[in-house]
Amino acid sequence: MPVFEVSELAVGQIKRVCVPGYPPIAIYNVGGSFYATADTCTHARASLSEGDLDGRHVVCPVHWAEFDVTTGRAMSFPASIPLVTYSVTVEGDTVILALPADR
Amino acid sequence: MISNSGTRPVADLLNLSQLPPGELDRRIFSDRGVYELELERIFAKCWLFIAHESQLPRPGSFLTTWMGEDNVIVVRKRDGSIGAYINSCPHRGNRVCNAEVGTSRGFVCNYHGWAFDLEGHLTGVHESQTYEREPTFRPADIGLTSVAQLGTYKQLVFATFDADAPSLPDYLGDFSFYLDVMLDNDPGGTMFLDGSIKSTLDCNWKIAAENFAGDALHAGWTHASAATTMLGRDVADLGDPQSESYHVNVNGHCWEFNLDEVGNAATLGDPKVMKYLRERRDQFRERLGPLRSRMVGSVSSVNVFPNFSFLPGQNTFRTWHPKGPERTELHTWVLVNRDAPDEVKAAWRKGAMMTFSPSGVFEMDDGDNWEFATSSARGVVTRRQLLHYGLGLDSRISHPELPGRVHRCQVNDANQRAFYDRWAELLRSKAKQAPTSAPLT
Repeated sequence: MPVFEVSELAVGQIKRVCVPGYPPIAIYNVGGSFYATADTCTHARASLSEGDLDGRHVVCPVHWAEFDVTTGRAMSFPASIPLVTYSVTVEGDTVILALPADR
Repeated sequence: MISNSGTRPVADLLNLSQLPPGELDRRIFSDRGVYELELERIFAKCWLFIAHESQLPRPGSFLTTWMGEDNVIVVRKRDGSIGAYINSCPHRGNRVCNAEVGTSRGFVCNYHGWAFDLEGHLTGVHESQTYEREPTFRPADIGLTSVAQLGTYKQLVFATFDADAPSLPDYLGDFSFYLDVMLDNDPGGTMFLDGSIKSTLDCNWKIAAENFAGDALHAGWTHASAATTMLGRDVADLGDPQSESYHVNVNGHCWEFNLDEVGNAATLGDPKVMKYLRERRDQFRERLGPLRSRMVGSVSSVNVFPNFSFLPGQNTFRTWHPKGPERTELHTWVLVNRDAPDEVKAAWRKGAMMTFSPSGVFEMDDGDNWEFATSSARGVVTRRQLLHYGLGLDSRISHPELPGRVHRCQVNDANQRAFYDRWAELLRSKAKQAPTSAPLT
């Protein structure tokens, strides 16, 4: 499904997307490439879209756990469970999020 | 309340007006009960210096310091304003920030992972799902305790735990006229150079503060040897009644000075500092007027009540943090004009370290005196003898330009008496209750 225009998410920025029936999703612009993961940190309840994007690592705003947004892998204490990832493509000027039928 | 003071009752001890003029009961330097009262009625009530704005350059910049024995985090918030919070987790009390200075996204307690943002709000906890079942856990109501009021004067940041304290401009009063000598002699304003030198002295904090408040007398005796080394000659005779020098005080804030322009600065022994001051004489005169322009580097010392001191010329700025009646933790920084050339800033840094650091030629002289002046008060017989503070009892004058209480001659005890008058006034006042927990907006 189309979520927003490419121009709406600058490099190094994160945007939170809410789709009915799915948990909140964070979409990242890593050097011009777009990635998406679950927005909620797997450690506690923080919204990763309120955190910082350092290269391809998102830093949770609460306890500073880091995840690789390209794979969902947890990189540091206190997180150990990986983030669910979603496939993102760009068609023309539009960012397209692919959501699995069974969430 | 007085635990250690012989047979005289507390009211007698604290009512300095009952003492002969110009005498002081030395038990105030060693008594635990007096010390506890000071923490409540001075350090939890007065405006205290906590930072220079240049130490907090961007959102997330923070430092930790003391307000009395309360450890405080001073932080640049996301909106660019400055906040100050008690460095203690509301869960089990552990500190949430272990660093003295740095840049952070927030503060996380090392004990159970309670996390706070730059505004002091609780943003999350470890094992949050277990807390979410608890009806008494209301994160919006939990945060780091803010100071009651925070204010700045020309980039100096002050805070108080007393919600009813007068405003910072009222607290400083006419003393800002004198503060501008250091803070506003250049259009670019001031900054602290990076780094802080910290040390401990086994002395009562007041002995250090009163020294900076007015003790020009000790300069030519205590520091005679060091001054001769740095200047190549003795300290000038500061007590000449014909010389133009003063003790001035406002609300217990004290400045002793003469008008020799560069007497303090010369002790750094660096021609770059002297050249800088000399080349800006006209600018100082334009900004400060002829009289104050001669104070910028002169033989002088200052204490902003209760425990924030500095030396014009040497440019050492410092706070005396109480650590019990007989221990003081000293934090020092070097203040320079922001637009001064780099080599001049470096000269001031080096000069301040050579003179007023723990290994500095002047500071070593002082520490020895202050430690024995403190510990002698432990002697039960020794402390029966009142100390002499009677210099310049009739030296008060009115001056056409200088505000506050003005006394002629900088070799004087007038400022020290004003310091202890203010101290006694506050100790006699009723203590305030616990600090407000309302967030600072």
